[in-house]
Amino acid sequence: MRLVLYTGKGGVGKTTTAAATAACAAARGRRTLIVSADAAHSLGDVLGRRLGPQPAPVAPSLDALEADARCEMERQWGRVRDYLLALFRHQGIDDVVAEELALLPGAEELATLLAVEEHGREGSYDLVVVDCAPTDAALRLLTLPDVARSALRLALKLQQAVASVAGPIARAFVSTPLPDAGVFGDIERLLYEKLRRLRARIASEKTSVRLVVTPERMVIDEARRAFTDLALFDIACDAVVMNRLLPAAARKETFFRDWARVEQERRREVESVFAPLPVIAAPLRDDEVIGLDALRAHGEALFERCEPDAVLGARARIRFAAEAAGWRVELPLPHVSYDGLEVAKIGAELVVRTGSRRRSLSLPRRLAALSLASARVEHETLVVRLASAASNARADQSLPCA
Amino acid sequence: MRVILLTGKGGVGKTSLSIATALGAAEHGHRAIVLSTDPAHSLGDALGTPVGPRPISVCSGVFAQEVGALDELERSWSAIQHWLRGLLRGETDELVAEELLVFPGLEELMALRAVREVEARGEHDVCVVDCAPTGATLRMLRFPDALRIFMENFFEIERRGVRWLRPVVGRLGGSALLPDEEFFEAFERLYREIDDVRQILTDGDRTTARLVMNPARVVVEETRRSFAYLSLYGVATDAVIVNRELPPQASGGWFARWAEKERRERADIAASFPVPILHAPLHPTELLGVDALRRLGREVYGSRDPAAVFAEGRPIRLRKDSRGTILEIDLPNASKDDLDVGVHGSELLVRVRDAHRRIALPASLAGRTVSTARLEAGVLAIRFE
Repeated sequence: MRLVLYTGKGGVGKTTTAAATAACAAARGRRTLIVSADAAHSLGDVLGRRLGPQPAPVAPSLDALEADARCEMERQWGRVRDYLLALFRHQGIDDVVAEELALLPGAEELATLLAVEEHGREGSYDLVVVDCAPTDAALRLLTLPDVARSALRLALKLQQAVASVAGPIARAFVSTPLPDAGVFGDIERLLYEKLRRLRARIASEKTSVRLVVTPERMVIDEARRAFTDLALFDIACDAVVMNRLLPAAARKETFFRDWARVEQERRREVESVFAPLPVIAAPLRDDEVIGLDALRAHGEALFERCEPDAVLGARARIRFAAEAAGWRVELPLPHVSYDGLEVAKIGAELVVRTGSRRRSLSLPRRLAALSLASARVEHETLVVRLASAASNARADQSLPCA
Repeated sequence: MRVILLTGKGGVGKTSLSIATALGAAEHGHRAIVLSTDPAHSLGDALGTPVGPRPISVCSGVFAQEVGALDELERSWSAIQHWLRGLLRGETDELVAEELLVFPGLEELMALRAVREVEARGEHDVCVVDCAPTGATLRMLRFPDALRIFMENFFEIERRGVRWLRPVVGRLGGSALLPDEEFFEAFERLYREIDDVRQILTDGDRTTARLVMNPARVVVEETRRSFAYLSLYGVATDAVIVNRELPPQASGGWFARWAEKERRERADIAASFPVPILHAPLHPTELLGVDALRRLGREVYGSRDPAAVFAEGRPIRLRKDSRGTILEIDLPNASKDDLDVGVHGSELLVRVRDAHRRIALPASLAGRTVSTARLEAGVLAIRFE
């Protein structure tokens, strides 16, 4: 199963692009599911019908659903939830409150992923398209399997130890019910099977994130930060969709002349910043893209020259690794001449200059406080080392490349 | 201190309008601050100058601050952070752990705290909050409720449980996993602070929300729902701002169809929102920097003081008549199918589509049964026996 997730700043057209991708794929014969993972769902508004947490057919080969954390929680957590309910009830708290509390932080995101994974495993879809929440929440969604696994593994160790050693004594002293073997069994299943599968799914070569941008400063800046964060968690992007570009006819309108000029600059910027990812251009429409016919037409325009479910771009990735003396950043730079390559750290940005080309990368918070130690090229990859330097950590620096 | 929350669907222009509102308030002589609570901050991008977790001066009378969850955590929650770090140590690499310290819900929590801190500093008369998109904002408004339930039901139990478990777990080498007493104290402090914020947010005399939208179908639909949700959480909306309307000189040629659609949406907006409607036109360039944003403020507010309360009224109120007490909640645009109402002991449970709330009933109503619940003309009236 191919999994494609769309994210980007709010309002850039994620839902429309995701729905258009799904509608186009379905029209080209792929069995497709589209999932909305944004708590403020608007997939239903775009498709023009009310959706629920179960896949509902909206067109031939196309099903749609809006994830519902509460409902998924009930389905997924079985005995864990029963235990929590028993625990809470025992303390004199009614079921409704207990259910509410069972919605632990992150449960919403996790439930969505579990639903996607479940539908993916059933084998009834060739393509699952996920319409994610705005960037930050989407990153959280994608990194959650890692977090949940760590947290659950710890909780499990602790609980098991306490229950086995302290269980008999504890039962004598406190009235709180302790989890039984069934609960541990469930946690383990959730932990070692579901989360491992989720992690594998996200890391799979058949899974990619597509960033949606518009030709606006704030939107592009946010997408660049997201690009770095995705690399940090080793999640692959395969394309950037540049949305709402003025069509030729609109560019001639006097009012939009400046806009059209800026747009051209921004387009070049996006192409260079996200290289080597392909940039799919999507035109501004003279009407809102609502309803299946409009979505299908929009999808056909987006994927005129490629398939919506193909892996569109290279998997070359930026990598971050800890070393004894600091951190190593690996930036793949295929097809680049290394003569006069220069690396600079300006604020929280790592800037690479070669001739007239310039590429910059926002550094993760932790690395932004370090300073440049060395830079060299190994196998078409630029390897930059960052180390802590108490004196000039925040100062801007630049280095020629060895 | 006057608090103005700007919220709405992603990408409608909340950040630009938040800054414009603060700049406008300053022109009317108020000491203003604009506070971004969206974890994907854009204040700095819009102003063209870096804005950080400490307030910085943008121009005379206006400050800006981006609430950084990680930074806040480091600054004031070392006890909580210490425990989290211990929990994550060895489980995942350091860089990832650092990012993970920002657990879901933390940003919303820190955002609420920041509002209270601004008030406590007493240096500003107007605090404009640039909120995260709708979904996250709802979570933020839900937080005080969730925390109250937790405090009332679990806090002492957890605390006692941990005290009791510590020696046993210590022998098993898992001490780092159990939060210490400092953690609980930090948590209790946090709870008190959040409750203060809840009071600030639901005080309609000083806090109001302004919903930002664009004249586009999907955006209007979501904003309609947000209006009801805000009301449900007791936050009064005093205006809606329709941003990026095609100006007359741009409404011809290729854009004629857009312009026609916008006219229909504008009529729909006028009929859907029972508060003043403000307008801002689409600009042929991006509005970045103080000067451009100040002009935007003038376009929206004209000669009005942006800090004024544009519509009076409380979204949740009690009324008495000869037959008893009625609790009223403004839920414009909600339909009967979207609603669920129930009473549980001293709490009223109300669900409106994706949002639900447990409203603590005043002592006089706690335990009484609901005789009728009726939705009429956008007002949910719940009559108690």
